[in-house]
Amino acid sequence: MSVAPLSTTAPVPRAGETLPQVARTVDQATIDAYARASGDFNPIHVDPAFAATGPFGRTIAHGLMTLAYVAEMLNGWSRGAFDAAGTLDIAFVGPVFAGDRVEVNGTVDDVGEQDGRAVASITLEAKAGERTILAGRARIPLATQSGTMA
Amino acid sequence: MQRYRRFDEVEVGEVFPAAPLTFTADGEKVAAFLAATGNDGRLYRDGEALARVPSMIACVYLIDLLTARRSPPGGIHAKQTLAFHRPLRLGETLSIQGRVTEKYVRKERPYVVSTFEAHGEDGSLVSSGQVTSIWGRDP
Repeated sequence: MSVAPLSTTAPVPRAGETLPQVARTVDQATIDAYARASGDFNPIHVDPAFAATGPFGRTIAHGLMTLAYVAEMLNGWSRGAFDAAGTLDIAFVGPVFAGDRVEVNGTVDDVGEQDGRAVASITLEAKAGERTILAGRARIPLATQSGTMA
Repeated sequence: MQRYRRFDEVEVGEVFPAAPLTFTADGEKVAAFLAATGNDGRLYRDGEALARVPSMIACVYLIDLLTARRSPPGGIHAKQTLAFHRPLRLGETLSIQGRVTEKYVRKERPYVVSTFEAHGEDGSLVSSGQVTSIWGRDP
């Protein structure tokens, strides 16, 4: 099947622009469903008795599940450009527990140019309440209608 | 089932698995991934039909890859870099392999750093990156 690629033509962002937030409430059912979809049945995620003996004392969500929320935010904002050629560099700095509401935010902190394309550099942060659970950066090359920088 | 490996058995430079593993981005896996992450999938459908693959399906094939290292249960994902080099097509099969590039102990926690590459059927690079893991407790 041949499918046309998503258009990545988009207005050039400006430094300081914030991306639409992605938020999810995570419970044990969410974690278990992600385990089934990803094949990651590490007991620190899905076995309360095992997790009780670990460093967090209870199950935690998969870090890559939070990263999927980050990708959803980046792709929604860039109209799929992150899927095509994005990069990211993040650290999982805190656990997500069942019952947490995870909020993923991004801010454009620079817009440069590479090979004639605008490249947005984005600061990423995910929080659960006051706790930071993920921090890092992403870069997304963006095709623009004019091919020039705003 | 193969036994788990102790931290001191992991060697910098080792390639895992010995032969690249394969992962096919079929519609069932993509739909399951989107549903499990609460993604409505609107970017990936033409009408009702699934037509594209979220590049972050890497979250799934990375687990297949990391499982090949045979870390004991309880390991934790600490850091991740990812680069997507081109879109992944629905139904495309990737070949994926990793390499241990560093190991160290910090604050009494054993860390293993690995790089990986995923190639498409035409040999082109689809994704690459680096995973920093806290190794599971030695068996």
